[in-house]
Amino acid sequence: MRKLRKLFVMGVLLLIANTTLAQSKLVKGKVSDAIDGSPIAGATIIAKGTTVATVTEPDGTFEFSVPSSVSTLVISFIGFTTLELPVTADLDNIRLEASQSALSEVVVVGFGTKIKKDLTGNIARVKGEEIAYTPVANFNQALQGRAAGVFVESNSGRVGEGVKVRVRGSGSISASNSPLYVIDGIPIAESANSGSSLPDINFNDVESFEILKDASAAAIYGSRAANGVVLITTKQGKAGATRINVNAQYGFNKPTNNREFLNAQQYVELFREAAINADNIDGINPLDPDEYEDSWLEYVENRFTRYSGWSDWRNRETNTNWEKLAYNDKSRTKIVDVNAQGGNDKTRFYISGSVSDQDGILINNFFQRVSGRVNVDHEVSKKVNIGVNFGLTRTKTNRITLDNGFQNPLQMIALAPITPTHDQNGNLYNTPVTTYYNGLLEIDNVKRSSVNFRNLGNVYLNYKIIDHLVFKTELGLDIQNQTDNYYGGPLSLTGASINGFGSADWYKSVNYNTNNYFNYNKTFGSSHDLDLTAGMSFQKYESERAWVEGQDFPVNELNRLASAGEITGGSSTGTQRSFLSYFARAGYKFADKYLLNLSGRIDGSSAFGLDSRYGFFPAVSAGWILSNENFLADSKALSFLKLRASWGLTGNADGFGDFAHLGLWAGAKYNGTSGLTPTQLPNPLLKWEKSDQYDIGVDFGFFGNRITGELDYYNRLTRDLIYNVPIPGTSGFTTQTLNIGSMSNKGVELVINANIITGKAFSWTTGVNISYNRNKIEKLDGDQKKIPGNDGRYLNSLIVGESIGVFYGPKYAGVDPANGDALWYQEDGKTTTNDYNEAGDFVVGNPNPDYIAGFNNTVKFKGFDLAFLFQGVFGNQIQNGAGGFMSTGADWFDNQTIDQLRRWQKPGDITDVPQARFYYSNGTGASSRYVYDGTYIRLKTLTLGYSLPRSITDRLKMSSIRAYVAGVNLLTFTKYPGWDPEVNSDYRAGNRNQGGDFYSAPQIKSVTFGLTLGF
Amino acid sequence: MKKHIIIIALSAMALTACDKDLQIEPQQSISEDLALSDDGKIKKVLNGAYDALSAGSFLGGDLLLYSELLAADGEIRWEGTYNQPREVWNKNILVTNSFVRDSWTRGYDIINIANNILSAIDVVNDADKNRVKGEALFLRGTALFELVRLFALPYSDGSAATNLGVPIVLIPTRAITEESYVPRNTVAAVYAQVINDLTEAESLLPAKNGFYAQKSAAAAILSRVYLQQEDYPGARDAANRVIGYNEFVLASSYAAAFNSNNSREGIFQIVVSSQDGANDMHLYWSITKYGGRTGDVTILPKHLNLYTPGDARLAFFYQGEGNTEGSGSFRSGKWKMQYMNLSIVRLAEMYLTRAEANFRLGTSVGDDPLDDVNLIRTTHGGLPELGSLTLADILLERKLELAHEGHAIHDAKRLKLTVDGHAYNAPKLVLPIPQREVDASKGALVQNPGYGG
Repeated sequence: MRKLRKLFVMGVLLLIANTTLAQSKLVKGKVSDAIDGSPIAGATIIAKGTTVATVTEPDGTFEFSVPSSVSTLVISFIGFTTLELPVTADLDNIRLEASQSALSEVVVVGFGTKIKKDLTGNIARVKGEEIAYTPVANFNQALQGRAAGVFVESNSGRVGEGVKVRVRGSGSISASNSPLYVIDGIPIAESANSGSSLPDINFNDVESFEILKDASAAAIYGSRAANGVVLITTKQGKAGATRINVNAQYGFNKPTNNREFLNAQQYVELFREAAINADNIDGINPLDPDEYEDSWLEYVENRFTRYSGWSDWRNRETNTNWEKLAYNDKSRTKIVDVNAQGGNDKTRFYISGSVSDQDGILINNFFQRVSGRVNVDHEVSKKVNIGVNFGLTRTKTNRITLDNGFQNPLQMIALAPITPTHDQNGNLYNTPVTTYYNGLLEIDNVKRSSVNFRNLGNVYLNYKIIDHLVFKTELGLDIQNQTDNYYGGPLSLTGASINGFGSADWYKSVNYNTNNYFNYNKTFGSSHDLDLTAGMSFQKYESERAWVEGQDFPVNELNRLASAGEITGGSSTGTQRSFLSYFARAGYKFADKYLLNLSGRIDGSSAFGLDSRYGFFPAVSAGWILSNENFLADSKALSFLKLRASWGLTGNADGFGDFAHLGLWAGAKYNGTSGLTPTQLPNPLLKWEKSDQYDIGVDFGFFGNRITGELDYYNRLTRDLIYNVPIPGTSGFTTQTLNIGSMSNKGVELVINANIITGKAFSWTTGVNISYNRNKIEKLDGDQKKIPGNDGRYLNSLIVGESIGVFYGPKYAGVDPANGDALWYQEDGKTTTNDYNEAGDFVVGNPNPDYIAGFNNTVKFKGFDLAFLFQGVFGNQIQNGAGGFMSTGADWFDNQTIDQLRRWQKPGDITDVPQARFYYSNGTGASSRYVYDGTYIRLKTLTLGYSLPRSITDRLKMSSIRAYVAGVNLLTFTKYPGWDPEVNSDYRAGNRNQGGDFYSAPQIKSVTFGLTLGF
Repeated sequence: MKKHIIIIALSAMALTACDKDLQIEPQQSISEDLALSDDGKIKKVLNGAYDALSAGSFLGGDLLLYSELLAADGEIRWEGTYNQPREVWNKNILVTNSFVRDSWTRGYDIINIANNILSAIDVVNDADKNRVKGEALFLRGTALFELVRLFALPYSDGSAATNLGVPIVLIPTRAITEESYVPRNTVAAVYAQVINDLTEAESLLPAKNGFYAQKSAAAAILSRVYLQQEDYPGARDAANRVIGYNEFVLASSYAAAFNSNNSREGIFQIVVSSQDGANDMHLYWSITKYGGRTGDVTILPKHLNLYTPGDARLAFFYQGEGNTEGSGSFRSGKWKMQYMNLSIVRLAEMYLTRAEANFRLGTSVGDDPLDDVNLIRTTHGGLPELGSLTLADILLERKLELAHEGHAIHDAKRLKLTVDGHAYNAPKLVLPIPQREVDASKGALVQNPGYGG
């Protein structure tokens, strides 16, 4: 088959060579603002029916050659209504009216484009310029709060890490819940060997993000689309004088919040009290010198002596604030972006280069990105267009250990405040003086880096076979080369006792994709518009990994494996997955009033067995533009009204094993020889997860579309959920991958955008989006009603009738006022018990929010611009998985949260913190005690800028100069007592495992100063 | 127009891809049919079964750790940060304890692999058939024995015929069916199965088999099974057979029996190297200086005071904390060094078992009990010989010689001792059936008493 494809491309190229070049003519004119006649610079002029275009000069003039066959020009500029004029019109006096809405915008849909007012599906669009220069690493973080129904949550405040994105809720238990990301037509790989591959994308190069939310919009991506599709379109050059943009930023980063822990005085007091209480339970009075020996008090005080090193805990000689030491107080952000675009009627280009250097707020955590992009489009002939979109990125991430590792700097908060950081010789203390590993040792004794080279590119060819019929073929490549190097010296946790530990891990993934399709677009008579698309695509992911590790290094400076005294491990693995798809879509519009869209896609995936390899994913949608009907045409207030309805079936085949349907045996090793062990039970019937989604919506515009909006209701039912069903361990296996049960997401989304003031000197636009989603597990395996998930630390479970990952487990009933025992409710929900194993199980929280919202404002006054975005998440809960360590009433030597001082001390005390009992685990089991309200509202971004007036920039021979200051996460309003309510601890984050906090870094609060220059 | 026909024809071809592009084979795994298809592969599966047995969650250490922590009785203390072993030490084990869960599932993983080997034993070369079958039976019997003595009430409590043991699974799992939801068999039934497997294994196995199971290993585990049943003739005879096979010799000093990769005393050892095998006893009992954790298990004075001054086994303890040695808490010297084999059964145990059983029965099979005890005392303890013997002498000798090797709770249960205030047959001294298993069994598995079941 590959051979055939090659033959085809050659054939097309031969045909190109035969076509003759077209004649052209020169067109010139001037564009100005209809209100005050001032010239408009940067307006786009397109020769209709071609891709030939130019932009106006600072004085509003333009001049370019267009094919002689062209009869109409399309003139557009952001914020103005697009105008179509015959080439023969008076082009020297083109006047654009300020537009009142986004309804006339062109929206990218899968394998084509559409005018927004003609859409029948739900697509959220975020323009690249809205988020340009936001100082975050991952574009999803910049999209947070900007699109209705799109929930974005960073795992923590580390830089360059994964971000959870859910479009209209979670649709799957075991397979992927992330949307499909498509860049310039090519679905990309989201995963990487370590971390996420999405920060590889410099989003300053992005023209627009289109998020396909409902099934009719997404179904053209069939089996890949159940979680929505994010179409990312990079910037294309425009013909005309070359324009250069330079942006430079410098910023300061801090954590959004500090959490308070016991100081030395409080620590000693609480732990002594806890030891005495424990002794009393054993019938010992440790304060009696005769009973002191072998008492818990003696034990604890001996430990105090050990933990205080050279200093004396009895007079609180040391009071270390370990939390403060976990943060990098010199955290900075430095970004420089340069791009240039231009071209002529035949060839247009966009090139860019960018360097981004962002420190995390935790010590040893930083992210660097160097990226470049070249997008070129060339018109070979009237019939043939070719082009390339090519991006190259190198990212380097100093990725600290996952949240649950001792090397995670925030785990230092567990160390005792009576412990000095250094001994008297200036060397850092380690165990046994520090309670656990001293994370400060990581700074000088550990080297780690993760370097990823990402090559994202595609080449395309459009061939106009006859009028209205275009054939498009594109080939995309997405290559990742990631290397993770690690070295821990003899003083580090990993290198201790083995004289240094090193590892190197190489990962390569190649994802190639080809799309070949026809577009047919024609207007019949005066009122029948037909838009047809049909084609195929093939995609294959291949990845390989090799790693080696060794120990015993001569000196810290020689930290490559070449210097290891002993190579202790190494391995290589590889895997592949492929998709073969056929798709078709038909759109019909009658009289600009009635819209109908049908689409279908057949997908085949290598991840399924022969009997269930192919799936069919159809969709249908219809729209009725009521405002074009006579009975509404005269309405003064209502300027636009469209009803939409859609239904579609989408699938999910990502995110679980590539070979989940097979019975497998894998290699094992014992006594220096190889072996074989069974690893997986077969399931030849494994098949796609399928989502049925209905969407009913209304699009409206008032007052000449100064206020526009959308209101949608959707109902998505996902069936045949793929799940690793727990099976009895007596089978020799613990899970089997099966299609079980179903899950629904129902929700409402409201979007309102208003141009409140549209004056030339003063303008104010505002946008609000609010979404409600209710996720519900409808059915599990057979009669099974629940799959409890209490693992001793977290409670995320699967329960029919509840949302995915609800916290299900013991319900904390507070403290027995009589004796200070922690209490839980028994199964009846009323009786209490002090025995954790006797406690009943209840749904005590839900990590999925009820509502998410964004409130966005842009105000411009003369040269000043002010933009701010509030973003909020409402109705979810968070579980502190580290509660059993940090909020235990001094159960073990971990430093405690300040609230533990509220402990029960004497009969009659009413409190929610049990009596402090050293080593007696009084109330420390996972329960609702550690579940908290996660609602928050945050001032996500705030940008204030000033652009110098044209009179000055003209004199400097520049087109623009803008200085700005941008803040991220400046204000957070929440009742969550932990560090930050936007959290999903990285070491366990998954579909079910949500809303967990475990020494997770708070989000980054930053202030950045920037300067943008246009030439 | 011809041009158009060509291009349409060509593009139509481009649109046709082949189904075979969707046929992708895994690179790290093979199918079940292939794995059991010939002699060579089945022997690889057998090595895979040992790999499972050697996991940290099973004989690679955790089962030994549970035994010692359950019977701590003020002689050792868990001081590590992991709460799972701490719960075992506290006798306050949550049904969600992940260590306990992993030990259970690992046990049945071993049993399933052994069952797979037994199901395909016909394709093994005739010359090796007995050995391979014997090893598979040894692995299954040993795993089942470990499970029943930790997850069920002790055999010694008199109700073995009715007390619930653990499920007996004798066929390999190829698919999940109604039969996969197995209930617990009685303690007596499980012991009977264990004795069957190990007896047949002993008869099939060769006398020598490298680090893999041989006749001595099967007989040695059998002697433990009988001892646990208070079947002293059985225990005595099995131990006597091990000594009689003459494959192993007592280490010339106590220290030489440990921290070694070629001990001649270890009858069955988990082979550990930096490449494979696990030794969780080292991980938790040693200190950071030697690659362990910070020193999670501390030996307390109550234990140290049991030794006679001058006993080489007392001197074998050392003091250490984290990265420092020479001060701080006492540690067991047996698990000091990293990447050393973990002896599951040592020859010394066989002498002590034979001595105890002979003494109780008033017999002298193999040798006189006094000789056996004195052999251990002098060779390993460096102590003078005893002139006469009481049962208490034998039991103390056994306790000291085999301290911190995973015998503590099992001996306490058969000797009906009270530990940490709990009677020998108290539910708190039995591990809970993991909650995960109770949930996944669709009601087939009944929880142990004392665990909310």
